[in-house]
Amino acid sequence: MDMTLNAFTLSILTGLQLGSIYVLIALGLTLIFGTLGVVNFAHGALYLIAIYLAVSINNAFGFTYALIIVPPLLFVIGVLLERGLIQRFYDRPHTDQILVTFGLAIVIQELLKWVFGANNIPFAIPGWGNGILFLHEYLPFLEGFVVYPKWRMILVAVSIVTVAAVFALLHLTRFGLVIRAGMRDAEMLQFLGVNINRRFMVVFGLGAMIAGIAGVFGGPVTQVSPEVGMGLLVPSFLVVVIGGMGSLGGAVLAGVLIGMAQSFTAPYINANTIIIYLITVVVLLVRPRGLLGSKGVFE
Amino acid sequence: MTKQANFWQYNKVVLVFALIALTMPFWFPLMGGYSGLDTKIMIFCIFVVGFDILLGFTGYLSFGHAAFFGIAAYTTGIMLKSFSDNILPAMFVAVLLATLVSVMVGLLTLKRTGIYFSILTLAFAEMFHSMAMAMLQTWTGGENGLTGMPTPMLFDIKMQGASVFYFVTIVAIILFYVAKRIERSPVGLLMKAIKSNQTRLEYTGINARKYKLLAFVISAFYAAVAGALMVVYEPFVGHEFLGWHQSGEVVIMSVIGGVGTLIGPMLGAGFMLYFENVLSVDLGEQWLLVLGAIFMAVVIFMPGGFMEGIARLKKRYFTTVDGE
Repeated sequence: MDMTLNAFTLSILTGLQLGSIYVLIALGLTLIFGTLGVVNFAHGALYLIAIYLAVSINNAFGFTYALIIVPPLLFVIGVLLERGLIQRFYDRPHTDQILVTFGLAIVIQELLKWVFGANNIPFAIPGWGNGILFLHEYLPFLEGFVVYPKWRMILVAVSIVTVAAVFALLHLTRFGLVIRAGMRDAEMLQFLGVNINRRFMVVFGLGAMIAGIAGVFGGPVTQVSPEVGMGLLVPSFLVVVIGGMGSLGGAVLAGVLIGMAQSFTAPYINANTIIIYLITVVVLLVRPRGLLGSKGVFE
Repeated sequence: MTKQANFWQYNKVVLVFALIALTMPFWFPLMGGYSGLDTKIMIFCIFVVGFDILLGFTGYLSFGHAAFFGIAAYTTGIMLKSFSDNILPAMFVAVLLATLVSVMVGLLTLKRTGIYFSILTLAFAEMFHSMAMAMLQTWTGGENGLTGMPTPMLFDIKMQGASVFYFVTIVAIILFYVAKRIERSPVGLLMKAIKSNQTRLEYTGINARKYKLLAFVISAFYAAVAGALMVVYEPFVGHEFLGWHQSGEVVIMSVIGGVGTLIGPMLGAGFMLYFENVLSVDLGEQWLLVLGAIFMAVVIFMPGGFMEGIARLKKRYFTTVDGE
């Protein structure tokens, strides 16, 4: 490996940046799966809604408004979806859940394509996030002149904060305690008199909101076109599967792993997307429940 | 005599299908279908009938059957280009290769059930897709697709227009008959037992994995035949053949038509292609939106698809009091 320290550092950063979007999408997926037991094929479409809302609000009123409006709006959309559609499918087979959310994904994608057109809409990065970072000023071991787009580092920071917030919510609050108990054994929780339906609704909204945050910050990086949703959903699903269904830590670990694998193989193989599928196959054969999946959960 | 009566009873559906299919060039243009679309519908009938052996019988939802369709299509294309313009050796090699790949993919993916299986099959198909787009670009043509094939020939018959249609239709009828035979064979029953209760089946001492793999490989074989015929019908292979859209389309066709009925998915295929190519003239760009909405409505209100709808109508209008 004739890789310089500079190239190595840049690969690490790119890996983190790729991974952080996967983690944000996968976090919502795995949260919804872990609590509600629903496989949400429409999660990429929720991200799609978020980036289109974000780009419209950003280009019309400015980024601050997009940041304030989009995530809560996604929360509301998530709650409405859960009440209107998803809750009808709790008792139906997983296949039906996949099918209905797959249909939903098509409808959302086509609606947005109809309204906004099939072409990429430029997402203007706000002034404070524009430009490049001079990495060699912060990291003295780098040689010469090393730069990296500032916005991508902001995206990584936002992901870290979001992940920390979700962990704090689940592990430090009473609400989180109930949710974690629900992931373990929803039926028992109902016997104990906990209104689980209302919490499920909130969890779905929360998953959608994380997709909203991902959309606001990820839009400028992933671009804004109707294909983005499904394109992101497939690797995010694999992140969930590799990490272990319903495991938040697993999703983070797998997201970073996939991001790194992609960024480090980029110069060597001319198809660095293949590496994701290879890792998935190997992990599932060697450790079917995923890296950090708990025993017995959809093994 | 009873034997003959049985033959008629067993194969009524196949004969009716054959009659409808073979007369398609006469009645299909009356409802606005252009010539060529009927061939495409027949090709997808083959695809979905095979897919129903997996999804309908065993209940395993694959989101990656485009892989076998696409691999067979690319192989057929490459064979036509570099070996001979005769379709028979090309189709033989293509179907054989895709079926072999399916054995490998099936062995790996069938270790898991439910959602894991769906996601794994999707991952495999996407893997082949990205391979065709990048590593194997020299052979597949990458983004532009595989072009430049000679006119496909069946010995000295040019495979164009009516000859393609009848060739495809005869293959479709034979394969539909085979699927029907599988359905009422002991093997077919075992496959259906996997869907209703796999654990119970295994407790009776039967190796369920063997039958799952068999169903998977048979469905991949049908997908491969469809993929190979697609190139015979139109000498072009796009990378979309391997994409998840293609897999999703087959899932939509099967579900709209009615999973597990063999005839239902074919109705679904006909409906979807007719919708996409004929009705979309009025709907314009929004046809997929409308189709997605129809698909969702079917999943929510009529999980049995068109076949369930037909059964409901029959029950309402054709059941007498004593026939209940």
